[in-house]
Amino acid sequence: MNYQLKPSAVRLALLGSAMSIAALAMPAVNAQEIRVWSGYPEMAPFYEHVAEGMKADFPNLSVKVEAIALREHEKRLALGLTSGEAAEVIELGTSTATRYLENELFNEAPAEIAAFVQDPTNFNDFFRDSASYGGTVYGLPLFRGQSALYYNTEMFTAAGLTEPPATMADYTKYAEALTQRDANGVPTVSGWSMRLSGGGQGIAEKFWINMFQYGESLVEQNADGKWKADFANENGRAALKQYLENVHTLKTVTIEMPADAEAFEREQTAMFIRESWVIGDIAAKAPDLKYATTTLPRGSIVAPVSLWISGEGAEAEAAWAFAQAANEPDNLLWLLDNVGWLPNRAGLDYSAILAAKPALAAFVEYPDTYEFFSLPNIGPVEEILTRTAARLTEAFANAALATDDAGIDAVLVATQDEINGLLQREGLLAE
Amino acid sequence: MLRRKRWLFAILAILPTLAIFAWLRMYPIFETLRLSLHKWDILSKNKPFIGLANFQELLKDRLFHEALLNTTIIAFGVLIITIPTAMVLAALIHYRTRSRVSGFYETAIFLPHVVSLVPAAMAWKWIFDARLGPLNAVLTFFGFEPQAWLFDPTLSIISVIVLCSWQALGYAVLIYLVGFKSLPVSLFEAAKLDGASGPQSFWFLSMPMLKPITLYVSVVTLVSGFNVYAQAFVLASDAQGAPGRQVRVLVLDMLENSFRNYRVGYAASEAVVLLLIVLVLTLIQFSLLRERGRA
Amino acid sequence: MSANPSSNPGGKRRRIRKMLVDRGIDVVLLVFSLLMLLPLVFLVSNGFKTPQEMLAWPPTIIPANPTIDNFAAVLQGTPLLRWIFNSIAFAVLSTLAILATSSIAGYILAKFRYRSLNVIFALVLATAIVPFEVYMIPLYFQAQSLGILNSLWGLLLGYLVMSFGIFLIRQNVIHSIPDELLEAARIDGAGELWIFFRIVLPLLRGALGALGVLAFFQAWTAFAWPMIVATNREAYTIEVGLALFQTGFTVDLGRLSAASALVLIPSISLFVILRRNFVQGVASTGLKE
Repeated sequence: MNYQLKPSAVRLALLGSAMSIAALAMPAVNAQEIRVWSGYPEMAPFYEHVAEGMKADFPNLSVKVEAIALREHEKRLALGLTSGEAAEVIELGTSTATRYLENELFNEAPAEIAAFVQDPTNFNDFFRDSASYGGTVYGLPLFRGQSALYYNTEMFTAAGLTEPPATMADYTKYAEALTQRDANGVPTVSGWSMRLSGGGQGIAEKFWINMFQYGESLVEQNADGKWKADFANENGRAALKQYLENVHTLKTVTIEMPADAEAFEREQTAMFIRESWVIGDIAAKAPDLKYATTTLPRGSIVAPVSLWISGEGAEAEAAWAFAQAANEPDNLLWLLDNVGWLPNRAGLDYSAILAAKPALAAFVEYPDTYEFFSLPNIGPVEEILTRTAARLTEAFANAALATDDAGIDAVLVATQDEINGLLQREGLLAE
Repeated sequence: MLRRKRWLFAILAILPTLAIFAWLRMYPIFETLRLSLHKWDILSKNKPFIGLANFQELLKDRLFHEALLNTTIIAFGVLIITIPTAMVLAALIHYRTRSRVSGFYETAIFLPHVVSLVPAAMAWKWIFDARLGPLNAVLTFFGFEPQAWLFDPTLSIISVIVLCSWQALGYAVLIYLVGFKSLPVSLFEAAKLDGASGPQSFWFLSMPMLKPITLYVSVVTLVSGFNVYAQAFVLASDAQGAPGRQVRVLVLDMLENSFRNYRVGYAASEAVVLLLIVLVLTLIQFSLLRERGRA
Repeated sequence: MSANPSSNPGGKRRRIRKMLVDRGIDVVLLVFSLLMLLPLVFLVSNGFKTPQEMLAWPPTIIPANPTIDNFAAVLQGTPLLRWIFNSIAFAVLSTLAILATSSIAGYILAKFRYRSLNVIFALVLATAIVPFEVYMIPLYFQAQSLGILNSLWGLLLGYLVMSFGIFLIRQNVIHSIPDELLEAARIDGAGELWIFFRIVLPLLRGALGALGVLAFFQAWTAFAWPMIVATNREAYTIEVGLALFQTGFTVDLGRLSAASALVLIPSISLFVILRRNFVQGVASTGLKE
C-alpha cells in the first residue's frame, strides 16, 4: 500500500511544484492589460494611483485609464458594450447602468465580491442596492455625487453677511445682496450662479436639486414601483419662479455670465450649488480662494457611481481585483483628499482630511433630518432630463413669465405631461 | 468573342466598386428605412416591428419640430447670405483677375472652407463670447449694447448661420468664378459698346446667364445646410463655465436619440425625414433646370 | 464691371477713372479677404496668450506677452500629434481608395456602353444625393460587426467610395479620351488592363489630382462619422480630439486655441501647396449639371 502511494505522492509533489512554477512564470509570460473607462477626467489620477498600488501584488498587470467627458463616455458605452469593445472596468452611475444590467451586459460579481458589497459594515443598503440588480450584486460601489452650497467668504463679509443662507428665501435675498454691478446696473459678479444654459440634462438636474428644497421631485416612485411626475403645484412654481425672479426681475445673474465652478474660481460669482469635486478643482486652479461650504436647506441629490466589469477570463479577474483595490480605505481617502469625490464605503475615518479641508464637512457631516434623492434607475431617464431641460431653457429665457404665475403653472403642467407621456410610452407610468 | 471578353473585363473591373457601393451605401440606406419601422434600443436583442409609430411620434415631438425648424432656418439663412455675397465677390474677383493680388483674394476667401471645422468653430465661439469676445468689443466701441450671442434664442441661431456662411462662402465663390470664366466675352463687349455700365451688364447679362450655376450652388448649400451638426455642437459644447444655448439641429437630435436615448429606430425615422427633404430639394433643382432647357 | 461709358472721349480721364474703380474694388476685396481671415488670426493669437490676457477686456488682437506655454502644454498633455497622424493616415488612405475606385469605375462607365452598366451608373448617382448622416447609424453597426471600431479601418469604411468621384472621372474620360485611341491600342493587341494603366490613367492625371485633393479634404474635415466610430482617445482624429478637448471640468481656452492653431498648419500648408489642383477640383464639382 505504502509503496503504491509513494509514486503518486511524488507525482503529486512534482505536479504541485510544476504548477507553482507555472503560476510564477505565467504572469511573466502573459503581461496583462486591463482598461478602465471613466466619465470624469479628474478621476484619472485616482485610477492610476490605484493601479500603482497594485504593482506589488500584480507586477505584470498594466492598467490603461481612459477618462473622457461624461456624455462621450456614455456614448462609447452604448456602442462599445454591445460589440465587446468596451473596457474591462467601467465606471458608471446607477441610473444609466440599469439599461445595461437589464440586457445582461455587465458581469455578475463573484461570490467574495458580492459578500463584500453585502456586508453592512462596508456599505449601507442604499449603496448596496446601487450596485445590485434584482437582488444580485453586479458592481462595486465607489463614489457619489452629492451637492452643497459653495460661497465666497470675502464677498459675504463685504456684503455684511455672516451666516450662510438657510432657506430658499434666503438664497434670493443673499443673491441680491451679493450681486456686484457696474455703473449701469449690469451685474458683473453674479450673486448666485444658476445653471441656465448648455447642452443637455444638467439644467434639469440642477432644477431638480432646487425644487427638492421646496419638497418636490421631478419624478417619484409609488408603492408598486411605477413612476410619475407631479410637480405642477406651488412647490414647483416656487422653484421655477425663483430662477425667473433672479434672472429677470432682480437680475442677480444673467444667462450669458460665466457660471459654475469656473466662475467661482475666478470670483465671478458669489455662490453656487455643486458636488464635492469642486474642492479639488479649487485647490488645483485657485488655491488662494477664500470660500466655505454649507448644506442645502432640505437635502441633496446623491448620485451613486459604481465600478462594473465586463469581459471574461483572466482579464475579468484582474478587473475585479482592480475594483476591489479601488475600494481599499487608503485609496478612498486618497480619492477624497486629492480628487474630492465622496467615497461610498462606510466606516472611513475622514478626520484628518476634514481638518485640512473643512469645506468637505458640508458633504459628510449633515443634520440627521437631511434628505437625499437620486435619479430614477429607469431606461428613459436621460430622455426625461433632456426634454425637461429643453422646456426649462425656454422658460428661463422668457422674461414675461417672471411675474406670470399662471404662465409658470402652464410650463410646469406641460413639462409634467411630457414626462408622464414618456413614462407611459415605456410602460412605467404610475396610475 | 472579343466583345464577350470586353464585357467580362468591364464587369470584373467594376465589380469591386459596385460591391463596395452595395455594401456600404445601398445596404445601410435600406437599413435606415427598415429601422425606421422598428423599435430598437441598441442593447436588446429583439427589435419589434411597430409600423409607422415612429413617424406618428415625430409628428408631435416638439424637440424634433424645433430641430427641423432650426435646421431649415439655418439652411435658408446660409443660402440667403451666401449666394448674393458669393456672386458679387466672384464678379469683383473676376474683374480683377489680371491683378497680381487676385490669387490672394481667392485664397483668403477660400481658406475657411478647407481649415478643419472644429478649430474654426472654436475661433468663432470666442468671437461671439459675450464677456470676452471681440464682436461685443466692437459693438461697445461704436456705442451699441453688447449682445449675448450664444445664449439668446434668436442670436444663437444667427451665430450658427454666420459661422456656416463663413465656411460655405469660399466654395460658392469658386463655383461662380468658374461660371464667370465660361461666359462669352463677346457678349459683354457688345453690351459695353451699347453703353451698358458694369453693374448693368452684371445685372442684366451675367446674372441670368449664371442661373444654372446659381441653382447648383443653391442646392448644394441647402443640402449641406440641412446636415449642419459640428458647428452647433462646438458653439454650445460644454465648457461648463461658459456653455452656449444648444441650437438643436436635425443631425444632433438624431444622434442624441440614437446614442443618448437609446432609440435607434426613432432616430432612423428622423433620418428618413432628412432624406425626403433632400430628395425634394434635388427634384426641384432638376425640374427647374429642365424648365430652363425648354424655355 | 467697369463704370466707364465708352462714349467718353477723354482717354486720360477714362484711364484715371478706371484706375479709381480698380482701386476701389481692390479695397473692397482686400477688406473682405482680411475679414475672412480674421477668425483664424484670432485663433493663432489666442494660442500665444497667457491665461490672464485671455480674460482681459477689451480683447487684444496681438498678444501683449506672447508665451508658448499653451503649445508646450497641449503637446505634452494630449496625444495631439497622434490625432494629427490619425487624421492624415485616414485622409491619405481614403484618398487612395476613392482614386482607385473612381478611376476604374468612371472609365468603365464612360467607355463600355452596356445597358446593365447604365443602370448601375444611375444607382451610383442616386446614392450621391443621400446625405451621409442618413445612413451613418446602420453603417456604424456594420463597422461594429466587423470589429473595426476605434481603428483606421473603421474610419475608412465610410470613406472608401465617392459617387461624385466616379461621375467626375466618367465625364473626363468622355471628354478627353477619344474612342479611336483605345481602338488603335486594341488593334495593336493591347490588353484591357494595359490600356487602362498605360493610356487611360496617364491621361487622367489632372482630373485625378483634383479629385484626390477633394477626397483628402473631405476626410480631413469629416466630423460626425469619426465622432461615433472613434470612442477611444488614441483613435480620435484631430477634429474629434479637439471637439472633446477637456481637461477636468473646465476648458482652457488658451490651450484649446494653441491646439487648434497647430492643426491649422497641416491644412493650410497643404492647401497652399495644392491650391491649383484644389481650385480645379472644386471647380469641377460645379460642372455637375
